[in-house]
Amino acid sequence: MATAAQRRIKSVSYAKYGYIFTAPFFIVYFIFMLFPLLTTFKLSVYGNGLSAKLDQAGTSINCFVGMDNFKTILTGGTDYKSMGIHENFVKFFGNTIIIWVGNFIPQICLSLLLAVWFTDLRVKMPGKGFFKVVMYMPNIITAASVAGLFLSLCGDSKYSVLNSFLLNHGFLDEAYMFASNKWSSRIIVMFIQVWMWFGNTMIMLMSGIQGINESLFEAAEIDGANSRQTFWRITFPLLKSIMVYTLLTSMIGGLQMFDIPFMFHTGNVINSHLETIAIFIYDYFHRDYLHPSYGYSAAASVILFVITSILGALVFYVQRDKDAIEIKKKRKAAAKEAKRRAARGGGFSI
Amino acid sequence: MNKLRKSLALIATLAMASTALFACGDGSSTAPAASKADSKAAEESKAADDSKAAEESKAEEGPKVEFPDEAGSKLSVLSWTGDDLNAMIKNFAENTSYNADDIVWVQQGSKGQEAREKYATYFAGGDDADLLFLEADWILDYINNDEYTAPLTKLGFTTDDFKGCYEYTVAIGTDNNGVLKGATWQATPGAYLYRTDLAEQYLGAKTQSEMQDKVKDWDTFIASAETVKTASNGKCAMIDTLAGLWQVYQYNRSSAWADKDDKLQIDDYCKTYAELAKKCWDEKLVTKEDAWSDGWYAIGQDGSTMGYFFCTWCLGENSMLSNAEGGIKMKDKVDADGNVVKDADGKAVQEIDYDADGKVQPKNPDIFGKYDICNGPSGWAWGGTWFAVSPKCNNGTLAHDFVKYFTVTEDTMEKYALAKSEFVNSPKVMKKIVDDKSNKNPLLVSGDQFAILYDAAGKIDMTGKITAFDSQIKDKFNGVVTKYVKGEIKDYDAMIEQFKKDCGSIEGLVVE
Repeated sequence: MATAAQRRIKSVSYAKYGYIFTAPFFIVYFIFMLFPLLTTFKLSVYGNGLSAKLDQAGTSINCFVGMDNFKTILTGGTDYKSMGIHENFVKFFGNTIIIWVGNFIPQICLSLLLAVWFTDLRVKMPGKGFFKVVMYMPNIITAASVAGLFLSLCGDSKYSVLNSFLLNHGFLDEAYMFASNKWSSRIIVMFIQVWMWFGNTMIMLMSGIQGINESLFEAAEIDGANSRQTFWRITFPLLKSIMVYTLLTSMIGGLQMFDIPFMFHTGNVINSHLETIAIFIYDYFHRDYLHPSYGYSAAASVILFVITSILGALVFYVQRDKDAIEIKKKRKAAAKEAKRRAARGGGFSI
Repeated sequence: MNKLRKSLALIATLAMASTALFACGDGSSTAPAASKADSKAAEESKAADDSKAAEESKAEEGPKVEFPDEAGSKLSVLSWTGDDLNAMIKNFAENTSYNADDIVWVQQGSKGQEAREKYATYFAGGDDADLLFLEADWILDYINNDEYTAPLTKLGFTTDDFKGCYEYTVAIGTDNNGVLKGATWQATPGAYLYRTDLAEQYLGAKTQSEMQDKVKDWDTFIASAETVKTASNGKCAMIDTLAGLWQVYQYNRSSAWADKDDKLQIDDYCKTYAELAKKCWDEKLVTKEDAWSDGWYAIGQDGSTMGYFFCTWCLGENSMLSNAEGGIKMKDKVDADGNVVKDADGKAVQEIDYDADGKVQPKNPDIFGKYDICNGPSGWAWGGTWFAVSPKCNNGTLAHDFVKYFTVTEDTMEKYALAKSEFVNSPKVMKKIVDDKSNKNPLLVSGDQFAILYDAAGKIDMTGKITAFDSQIKDKFNGVVTKYVKGEIKDYDAMIEQFKKDCGSIEGLVVE
């Protein structure tokens, strides 16, 4: 039998502290994340331009224009403005995909290889901790510094490290425009992305590998499996979920790629082979600050959001655990069967 | 509270009424705005008073200052740089009855482009703003907007007051309706700065005038550039960078970028420049270095370029030309107690390390002082900063006096020109300085850039060529030309097509 005091304590609700402690997050989230998110959706169906003159034409930021912004971006039009916007979007989207694919594939391969080596029981690598830190390091340098660094290493200038090496050793007669030419600039940006992010991906994959039960590896070793067999039969299948996660985060990050492509150029003109969707959004929203085109910017953001969602869903669909689904299906079928029998009034089947 | 307000209003009214009476009086009374009562002011102002009062009575005939003089409020000047403003405040306080702390610098960013965005935000905030610094590139954004700027007539000026200025500076300070809203203290004409040793070696030009003959117009300039290339076996290019070429050539338009119906004008100019730039790039008449990079300065020393297109503000002791000549020795600045002066970021402030004779010490004596100046193929200017008055100005008289000191009154303009070695906005003052031969520039063989720049400034003609879209159109044009030149765009027609598409997104501009 509980005493009165005990009963009183029981009735004290601690739930409100939970709400109080989590409130800051929600407040910040609502103000700085949810509100801008919803505003983006709203802006995407409103017009562009701020001037009162345009108000009458029905295209200012105060006017609801429905899907016009999307139409212009996706299909273009007959006037130069629409053509320009549409072409830029398509071109920048292409650039984004090319640069992302070009950096993701080498990045995941390199990270996977290093992660396996670092976690392999048989590889007794000295200075593992040191290498892990060194490989993660590029990730903590700000993008602006990285872009500056690479511009002085392999920029257009004949005084850049790569050019002066090639010129001094007679490989070239004149400076090569590494930062301006189509493929050299893209390859450099891909390389920078790999260099900056492979350490991060490697750490993630390592944590995935370390999560795999060690006895599986020991058993494989006892059974005489070689490294390759261990990797393909044990490590890789069990790493699937973390790979999906890496793929997804990298894809989201890749589609939003902005800093390095935006900064890796000489002079005032951004290299058009490097311009990405995020640069498109920035361009229309910010560069001409007195006449911002919020509508196009927001519409492009929404399109990017939709594309990301579709790709994300696709990744989940492809990577789904088929065996588990099969088992689930069977279980469901069995349950149905049992129900059907019960309904028929049958007893236990023997 | 109400009582206090009423009595303050009464005092203010009385004060204003009394100033009106002073102005109508015999002119021997003290300056009306001089709130300072210390003896220094009284002494200093006495001398200035006579001329000042005379000027004031003259101003009486023209428009009056329509802004109030709120007691206790300081003159807030919005600017991104203290370089000019601090020198101005110092010079202004030394030569007038005002105190240096009557004027405050309200810093907005540290670059012109940052200020461009921050001003609008600052105005939205409603804080005190009396005067604004506006840069040539984007001055129209602000002077075409009555929320941010008021006509200079409201500050007590007439257009006649600026008759003595370089015409192009007045044209740039005029808004789309023809109202004068910006006045500048400086003119920023540009010229061609060249290595005298290379000019003699490759072109045989021994003097400034011989060199000018080799670059007097664009055809001759390009012909000389080809000669230089051949004579140097392709090692030396006549033009420093593509950006430099564009900086000069953008002043070469014979008409505005947009007509009176705001329609984009694509004319022969576009083709001429695009082809010129392409030719220079392909035939290596320009180096492939980037302006403002380390390489930009390196080419000036190793003979990769014969010279640069520079303007007034590139020619100081520690500026771009100085860097192109290898730079000068600098040292940490120390205060009176021997402590190193540090800036807001904790970095030691640098200053020029003069030798015992008060001369700069070059880092590369082989090149230093080997450059000289000539007019070049056409007149042009680079940048420049204008004053504009905020509609919310509440220090009318001080603002008027400040702007007048630097843009109208020749005596004080000369004082400022000599104090800061500034190219002030008055041909008359500059002519006097040139004739007096008082300018000595250690970077130049001839020792004086003003003699040449004085001519160059007169050649700039911007009348009828300014539109509100200029900075955006020029950005887009330079963008497509750069891409065309570098081969990202395959031919001229494709370039124009791209140019039109890019310009399509400029609000209010008609592209057909």
